[in-house]
Amino acid sequence: MKKNLLQFLFVLLLLGSNAYAQSKTVTGTVTGKDDGAPLPGVSVTIAGSKAGTVTKADGTYSINMPAGQNSLTFSYIGYLTTTKVISGVKLNVVLETNQKALNEVLVVGYGTQTKRESVGSISQVKGSDIAQQPVQNFEQALAGKAAGVQITIPNGVLNTPPVFHIRGTNSISLSSQPLIVVDGVVSYSGDFSGGESGGNALSNINPDDIETIDILKDASATAIYGSRGANGVVVITTKKGKKGTSVVSVDSWMGMTKVIRLPKVLDAYQYVALKNEALVNAGTYNPASAFTLVDKDANGNDINTDWTKVVYRTGSSYNTNVSVSGGNDKTSYYASGNYTKQQGVIKKNDFVSKSMLFNVDHKANKYVTYGAKLSYADQMNLAATSSGSLSGEAYATAGLGRIATLLPPNLPIYLNDGSYNSTTAGIGIVNNKGYSISYPNPQVALDLDRANNEINHTAANVYLVINPLPWITLKSQYGLDYIFTTNDSFANPVNNATAGATDNYAQNKRWDWVNTAQFDKTFGKHSLSLLLGNEQQRSTVYGFGLARTVLSDPAFNQIQAGFTTNGTSGLSNSEDYLVSFFGRLNYNFDQKYFISATVRKDGFSGFGASQKYGYFPGVGLGWELAKEKIWTTIGADKIFSSFKLKGSYGKTGNNNVGAFPGLSFYSNGVFNTIPTLGPSSNGNANLAWETSKKYDAGFDFGLFNDRITGSLGWYKNDVTGLLFNVPTAPSAGLASSPLVNIGSLYNKGYEFNLDAEVIKSGSFRWTANFNIAYNENRITSLPGGQQITYSTSSLEITNINRVGGAVGDLYIIKSAGIDPANGRRIFLNAAGTKVEYTFLGTQHWFNMDGTNYTPTNGTVGINQNSDASDYGNSVPKWIGGFSSSFHYKGFDLSTTLTFQAGFKLYYGTAASLTDQRFWNNTTDILDHWTTPGQVAAFPRVVFGDNVSNGTSFPTDFNTYSGNFLKVKTLNIGYTIPKSILNKAKISNLRFYVTGYNLFIFTHYPGSDPEVGSNGTSNSSQGVDRNTAANGRTFTAGLSIKF
Amino acid sequence: MKKKYLYMIGIGLLSVSACQKDKLFPASQTSVVADDNFLPFTTPARITAQVEGLYSNMRSGNLFGGRYQVYNDVKAENWINSTANSVTAYQTWTETVSNTSSEVLSLWSQAYYVINNANLFIDGMTAKGNTVVSAALAKNYVAEAKFARAICYYTLVEMYCKPYGPDGGASAGVPMRLTGNNLYGNYDLAPATVAKVYDQILADLNAAETDLPLTYTDAATNTTRAHRNTAIALKTRVYLSMQKYAETITEANKIVSAAAPFTATTGVAFALQASPLTPFRTYTTTESIFSEPYLATETGGSQSALGPYFNGTGSAEFYLNVTNGIYANAAFKATDLRKTLLTISVTKSAVTKFYTNKFPITTYTDWQPVMRYSEVLLNLAEARVRSTNTLDPQAIALLNAVHGRSDVGTVYTAASFTGVADMISTLLTERNIEFLGEGLRWNDLWRLNLPIPAKAAVPVINPTDGPYIWPMSGNEQQYNKLIGR
Repeated sequence: MKKNLLQFLFVLLLLGSNAYAQSKTVTGTVTGKDDGAPLPGVSVTIAGSKAGTVTKADGTYSINMPAGQNSLTFSYIGYLTTTKVISGVKLNVVLETNQKALNEVLVVGYGTQTKRESVGSISQVKGSDIAQQPVQNFEQALAGKAAGVQITIPNGVLNTPPVFHIRGTNSISLSSQPLIVVDGVVSYSGDFSGGESGGNALSNINPDDIETIDILKDASATAIYGSRGANGVVVITTKKGKKGTSVVSVDSWMGMTKVIRLPKVLDAYQYVALKNEALVNAGTYNPASAFTLVDKDANGNDINTDWTKVVYRTGSSYNTNVSVSGGNDKTSYYASGNYTKQQGVIKKNDFVSKSMLFNVDHKANKYVTYGAKLSYADQMNLAATSSGSLSGEAYATAGLGRIATLLPPNLPIYLNDGSYNSTTAGIGIVNNKGYSISYPNPQVALDLDRANNEINHTAANVYLVINPLPWITLKSQYGLDYIFTTNDSFANPVNNATAGATDNYAQNKRWDWVNTAQFDKTFGKHSLSLLLGNEQQRSTVYGFGLARTVLSDPAFNQIQAGFTTNGTSGLSNSEDYLVSFFGRLNYNFDQKYFISATVRKDGFSGFGASQKYGYFPGVGLGWELAKEKIWTTIGADKIFSSFKLKGSYGKTGNNNVGAFPGLSFYSNGVFNTIPTLGPSSNGNANLAWETSKKYDAGFDFGLFNDRITGSLGWYKNDVTGLLFNVPTAPSAGLASSPLVNIGSLYNKGYEFNLDAEVIKSGSFRWTANFNIAYNENRITSLPGGQQITYSTSSLEITNINRVGGAVGDLYIIKSAGIDPANGRRIFLNAAGTKVEYTFLGTQHWFNMDGTNYTPTNGTVGINQNSDASDYGNSVPKWIGGFSSSFHYKGFDLSTTLTFQAGFKLYYGTAASLTDQRFWNNTTDILDHWTTPGQVAAFPRVVFGDNVSNGTSFPTDFNTYSGNFLKVKTLNIGYTIPKSILNKAKISNLRFYVTGYNLFIFTHYPGSDPEVGSNGTSNSSQGVDRNTAANGRTFTAGLSIKF
Repeated sequence: MKKKYLYMIGIGLLSVSACQKDKLFPASQTSVVADDNFLPFTTPARITAQVEGLYSNMRSGNLFGGRYQVYNDVKAENWINSTANSVTAYQTWTETVSNTSSEVLSLWSQAYYVINNANLFIDGMTAKGNTVVSAALAKNYVAEAKFARAICYYTLVEMYCKPYGPDGGASAGVPMRLTGNNLYGNYDLAPATVAKVYDQILADLNAAETDLPLTYTDAATNTTRAHRNTAIALKTRVYLSMQKYAETITEANKIVSAAAPFTATTGVAFALQASPLTPFRTYTTTESIFSEPYLATETGGSQSALGPYFNGTGSAEFYLNVTNGIYANAAFKATDLRKTLLTISVTKSAVTKFYTNKFPITTYTDWQPVMRYSEVLLNLAEARVRSTNTLDPQAIALLNAVHGRSDVGTVYTAASFTGVADMISTLLTERNIEFLGEGLRWNDLWRLNLPIPAKAAVPVINPTDGPYIWPMSGNEQQYNKLIGR
């Protein structure tokens, strides 16, 4: 109150002096040096006083200069502060950007730090680097942006969470995805859709609202997150208001997405020729009862259906962001709204999102600051039916990705009477004879079905900061993260024996309360910062739903319509609670020697009764060599503007174990309307977190006055106490495999990152980033020394974890081509001996001399348990990216290239595409064996054969190197010159076009080597089994600021 | 000004503590914790529910909820596959299953899951449950658990082991587990011999016969839960599989009256229904000894219920083999009620296919039969002929009881047969007709060590051929180091 009075008096005084003293009004424009654009919101203060103003949207300012004052100070975030002496009444100022990249502020756990002071391994990605892209969530845009960060988008279905690994796969059974902290609150992450489109929890964050993404990698940065830090931590900070007149930004784009690299399948004529040949070879061809033919449609034309056209489309997309930000000395605000509607390459797969964000910060007085954030997103993740691409769906009979290329082209979509060519048993085979098809006609589901998801995501927080003394900061923040998700699906009565609707709803609620006290003090050259804190986080899930079948009236399809049978769906009820106490001490001497020590004590409800609490310490050291005298003496300072050695060690954990894994349960069921009770899960009372010991060493450097900055680092994560749902002999009959802390692995590797302002001459600028990381992943022990195999969609064993291998190595049977003598596929058994297969007859497996092949272990023929071997890692060893940005006058061009290398992909889809049942094949099959002596790529075709092509088990002839280089984004823009815009009171107007997922350089034959049938699972990566194809997107847009 | 905020934060901090310890030990709101306190055994209702749970797990689609019967039928010659789908028994039909085929893995693990639940139940009753329910009830319940254990072991022997006959059960059987497992541990265990497994099956069934109730209060329970006569009926199947015909007769005589009309005279009064259709439309008659119940709120699986496999509903996985299957057998007359009432033809695109009509409900609510009284009658008939090596008059009467109700007017007499072998052949044919789609065909071939006849492009499989019996579960091979097979 007293202060307000003083201010009032001061203003009066100013007014007074204006009347009597020789004051003058100074005006001018502030522009940025790089692009000459006017800078709004620049703080203009009279040197030596507190009086001042800020520049308007057009960069102009006007200020009263009292007599006796003759200089003005201009300051603006990201620019060097300048003080100018005034001679007249007009002063135009050009501000230079702050070149010192090392002064950038990094957001770390429960605080901030300058890059210069940090001893941790932290990569920062600016929001502007990932904005304006046709993505559904920011994670998808992170690929190639930071060293050691792997982003793999597993399929072309919209809004699926990508595989997000920081420094390799750090768990086997638990999530290996990083902890995501948004504005200080741990956010839900992962897929929350129960429909057939993805439902990434993090898509509530509009990439255009992101200020920075800080990726914390080593122990000194992550140990403060204790039992949740093992997979790294991603700290997202949304935009806040800046002081100055309000800035309104509008960014809008529209575009289209087209499917890429579809396999080329046989047309009806080729199909009929091939399958009849296969029927003849099988000895079952019969011109009356077993044959295929090219039939006529209602107009008398040959039926030649391109099923890919039934499934895929050219999608269109639209996106608009509007934001307003501004503020004054006391209050700043940022508000934004986003509407996006994106269509995927698969028909009916849409993403429609409306989101809002409001950030407000208010400095009440010298001691008290408070603020709030409120964000809300309503997202529709829409799809008609399964794409066969989401985790667990690889063999879905209705999976669109597969049936688009599997269905025979000689079958019509509609019968000649106009009705669907469909029965409840599958698509009809019209006048073909001798077989039937259980796969459905996709047109029916695309027309009539739905498998939608809606997510309502609220993320909010309020905070209060008190500074009782300038060096003490007390902060309390209470945050919420609520996801309410609704799934709504309908299965039509045309091609389903039982039409039904299933809807369910789940509330995922989390609150998070953090209280911290921070003490910052500098004594001479000693700089000290101490943080103490307490955090509590509680999450609950509460879900329920209906599964209703036998539709009463086919005119309706909503869950509320009439059905005769009612069941339940999506029942869930669980909770967890985390309580923590933590501290961090940062000390540096003369900005030369740095030490950072953290410790956290975590208690988590999910763990066994005896293992509730754990301690997680971390320590980091840094040494800025460029500040040493010797550095100058040897002249290194001429090149290196900074050179900091650093290293860290610490312990973090992984607590993604769910609600009650420590306990065994009996659950209720029902048997002929009578309640039942029986074992449902087996727990482990000694269950504790997985522990990750992280070692990190490296150096950061700046060259030529920090025009080039970079870092080179080595790391090793030793993960022990790996949790496994340890499989026991099935004859033990356990209800579930209990989680046991057993097994260990490590990730070790190198990271290199380089940022450079390559050219900066007048109107031409070129900035670039290059990063590359190498990671070696090794399993060092497994339960009982066993190897553990993993299947794709529970049907095909595709991956293996074994000691000495990497997590999720492919588990493949080798082969040796086609026998030219008889056209049989030659496989290799475990000993490397050649064994031939023929589908015909009773004896299928033969030695090369024609005798029967009988394995010594009593199994039959070549089989995976006996003969498969570890075929190498499915997770890339090398990952990286190259981003480049050019500016010339009004033009700008930026690209992001990403690459992954050193891994194998099992292209199981190829087995489907060469299967000799009624399935259609790729044109590759035309090179199949027909006559003795012929050297062919594919074996003799025999109708019904699903072994020779690799459907029965994964084979090397369907496995490829996954290496790729992708032109992920290319963005070309033109900014209209100021001279024109100023008349329209527009401060900035830019038009741009963007290409996304533009080109792929790879030997991989599938649609996209960035692929995975098993979602974000750790141990079954590198499998492409019937995944729908991906798309390429072009957009055009404009952004306006005024 | 400053004080106001300090008060605010102070009150806020006081009102909620920095650690809410009770939340670190949350209780499940939906499930019973199983630990040393034996909470699942603390109330009579929980104990009863556990017994029901054993049946519920036997009803699993991977076991008697359909797939067990499916594999038994399609492994033999009566069906032609139409979907070539390895998820729905295609490889069993083509006799090409491997140790990792889904049917080989799933049936194995489901049977052992039930066995372990039965073991846990028996252990828990000893530790706690016997003091919670009456002694009589406790005895009944444990007997039901033993029945469940026995039928599951029999299932395993039948699918994964060589028949008892040729070597008297000396060949390798399956691991025999008789105590409950609920903790992580080493479960390596060598398989017992087939003979030892049979010993255990019979020990359990004998105990069950002694301790099971004679009847329940309602017909549905009599059909879906084991009572004394259920255990006896199953023993006739077990002994017949062991080719122990005298014992088969002894057991069967307990529940088959000496002369027609054949019925069980004590306990649940098993009897044939007048029409062969009745047990497939009215599920709880005294003919249905043991069945898996389904209803609108508890439907069978679209890929496990018998309807979509054999009745042409849903994905219509298989249709009848009209070339050399039983449908084409002259003994299966066109006028036989089992043909007129219990098979159907469906014509699509001018192609007519034949299916059974035992499981017609498209929403998979047909009850799935596991054992019917006609089997006991035919078991007895066959055992009598084989053990007496004569055209036994009671055997002929039993055959007439089953055959005559469907093929009205045909009456077998001793003169109908050229000899004992001919009568046995007739009995086997009768079984093949009577139990089409009910999962007994492979059982008959296997117990007698007979070749599996050819069908379509699938050739004859002789008992000496590798694919004759299923291979060991690949998961068992991987995680049980002592399995040795």
